[in-house]
Amino acid sequence: MVDPIFDYQFRLILIGDSTVGKSSLLKYFTDGKFAELSDPTVGVDFFARIIEVQDGTRIKLQLWDTAGQERFRSITKSYYRNSVGALLVYDVCNRSSFEHIPLWMMEAKRHIEPHRPVFALVGCKIDLVGTDNKNGARREVTCEEARMFAEENGLHHVETSAKTGLNVEEAFVLVAQEVYNRIQTGEYKVEDGWDGIKTGFNRPNGMDFNLLEAETVQSTCC
Amino acid sequence: MPSSDSEDFESADEGQTHTERKERKKRLSSSNYSENALESDSGPKETSTLTGKVEKPKAKTTDGWDDFDIDNPEESNTEVKSKEPSPKEEKQPKAKEETQPKAKENVKSQDTGWDDFDDWGQDDVISKNEMEQTSKPVNQSSNQQQTDRDIKEVTDRLASASTKGNSWGWGWGVDSLLSTATAGITTATAGFTTLTSQVSQGISTVLESGIGAPDPEELARKNNKEADTSAPKVEDTKPDEVKAKEDQPNAGANDGAFPFGSLLSGVTKFVETTGTKVIAGGLDTLETIGKKTMEVLQDGDPGLAKKRAMLGLDSGDKPVLSQILREAKAKAEEEDKVREEKREAKEVHYENLFDDFEGLVHLEALEMLSRQVTMRIEERMRGLDPEKRQDIKETLQQVAELCEMPEEDDEDDEPPSEGMSKPDAFHEKLQTATQDLGLKLVFQPLVKQYTDVLDWLDSSDPDIGEKAVYKRAVSSLAQCTALAVLVYHKAAEMLLVKPRRSTADEADALTQMTVVLTKHISELATLFTEKLNSISSENKEQINNHITNIFLEAGNSSTYIQNAFQLALPILQIGAV
Repeated sequence: MVDPIFDYQFRLILIGDSTVGKSSLLKYFTDGKFAELSDPTVGVDFFARIIEVQDGTRIKLQLWDTAGQERFRSITKSYYRNSVGALLVYDVCNRSSFEHIPLWMMEAKRHIEPHRPVFALVGCKIDLVGTDNKNGARREVTCEEARMFAEENGLHHVETSAKTGLNVEEAFVLVAQEVYNRIQTGEYKVEDGWDGIKTGFNRPNGMDFNLLEAETVQSTCC
Repeated sequence: MPSSDSEDFESADEGQTHTERKERKKRLSSSNYSENALESDSGPKETSTLTGKVEKPKAKTTDGWDDFDIDNPEESNTEVKSKEPSPKEEKQPKAKEETQPKAKENVKSQDTGWDDFDDWGQDDVISKNEMEQTSKPVNQSSNQQQTDRDIKEVTDRLASASTKGNSWGWGWGVDSLLSTATAGITTATAGFTTLTSQVSQGISTVLESGIGAPDPEELARKNNKEADTSAPKVEDTKPDEVKAKEDQPNAGANDGAFPFGSLLSGVTKFVETTGTKVIAGGLDTLETIGKKTMEVLQDGDPGLAKKRAMLGLDSGDKPVLSQILREAKAKAEEEDKVREEKREAKEVHYENLFDDFEGLVHLEALEMLSRQVTMRIEERMRGLDPEKRQDIKETLQQVAELCEMPEEDDEDDEPPSEGMSKPDAFHEKLQTATQDLGLKLVFQPLVKQYTDVLDWLDSSDPDIGEKAVYKRAVSSLAQCTALAVLVYHKAAEMLLVKPRRSTADEADALTQMTVVLTKHISELATLFTEKLNSISSENKEQINNHITNIFLEAGNSSTYIQNAFQLALPILQIGAV
């Protein structure tokens, strides 16, 4: 069992077309395992893992794994609101999943408002690229165009493989660090009635403590 | 030369009484400086004669010390009370000040300055001696005996040095028994850096910078002021100053150096007032120097560990390192303990466990759905005319009634079918209850959890502690509740995307499922309390406490489950309107 002590909890949501690999990505991230076959997600599933950001602060990531299937779309919409970060997931071997990314992003922005989440663009199934074409797998989304899209929209971009584990950790740490940085700069705050960021079991007054610390640091600078 | 030596020693001893001070002053003014020129030639010779003589006067000074003991209290008292600020207070800093200018001066004229310098060196020696013996500067004042002995030496030295013009060699020769510190200071100024040890460095620092002495300008100013205001005490000083001024040109020193002059006068005065005052002052000075020296030595180096290590007096820094390691370990253990306690606290904290098993987040997600659907229902009703709205309200009410929990009935508590395990029976009940729901709900996690609990209860060590059983009980209840909430959440999601609704059946199915689940919770609680009761522990009270808590948490679990059910109500209702 993981060490249950953490300083913050961030709620991240994974969105994207069905079968792009959201659940597999999360399974690898939280379990270190990869399943060749898995049932499609119903509504939303939950995963959790504690990571550490650069200064050693322990962050519990509560990960909302939404169903990509069209029929659940009306339901998953309800789940966006309390997220502080959103991973826009596409399949590098599925062109249309990448083309739907702007729609997913707009949807997320609309439902998470007035909060501004941290977005990351995550390409999945990178392990299929470069192998022979027997599986019919072929890169349909180049790294360059994905990166370009990410830059235009101010997102982080990373290509991953839930099979080999490549960049899986990085994708989540990237978002967590960015959220944490925004807490440090005061852009994000713990708010009543919004569960995007919560303080952990460890520190009931964690937020105050941190704000105080940040202020003192600033004052010494000036 | 020898004659003058002995004379000086005598005068020093005599000088310890007030009456003879003035007389001695006169003598000094006439003899001391005028002799310097001659003495400078015969320095080396002196050394040999002196070494022999030092012992004798020492015996004599014992008498002087008796005097001192009597006289001193007054003196020191006045000092402490600062009633007479001018002579003594000034004297101390002045003497100290002199070390700096003297260092330069001495190059030109090694006369009076050196007397004083040696004295100072000796003071330091004594302080160092004390330091070595007591290692506690604070004890210095209380360590009267020790100080007495030391001061005896000082008086000897003072007395001898007072008339000694060229005491460079003198101090060097006689002081073989005196410490390295003298040497350190002498050499530091004279440039014998080879001998400078850590200690002497420290002492030089004291002499140069420390002992709380006012800076030279301040002193000079003070002197001027005093001369102007012509305080009675200053009269003593004035002739000295003149003398010093007179003396300086003789020695070939700077003519217009009034500060130096006054400093020199300080020296002279210091020498001249060798009596009880000097000794009293010397004693205080000694203390001050000793303390300051210790402070400087210990600055950033408590216990002198580093310096001792540097001097090779210790067996290296091993004990220090081990100490650090020990402390670090203790600290780490303390942190671990705190962490462990937190974890421990969390382990048996129902809400936290419920959260860890994703129960809370499923409940929350279900709540989100529920709210959304409720809003949708209200929206629909708003667009309708009042009559239809009333119909819908009635329908909603009917569905809500269908979902009311039946009265507790123990009758259908039929035993599980023959040849069927408890978990299987549980699974069957759940499936029977929800067969009209029209959904493929997954109960495996709940059944597996039940199996695990039963296995654990059967296989666990009969000597297991009540704490462990209690922990497992709370954890199992939290997990079971979380899994149950998950089922409601999934059911709600699937109902919302279900193409054809049959609200009445759905409501009935969910109600039955709720009954099965709450009964299951009771069953779990009972299993664990039975286990607790089977434990033969002398701490019956603790066990009863645990049992109470388990039933409390079971009640908590049932509440969560029924809340989840109530949250699912709008989802059932929307199928009907």
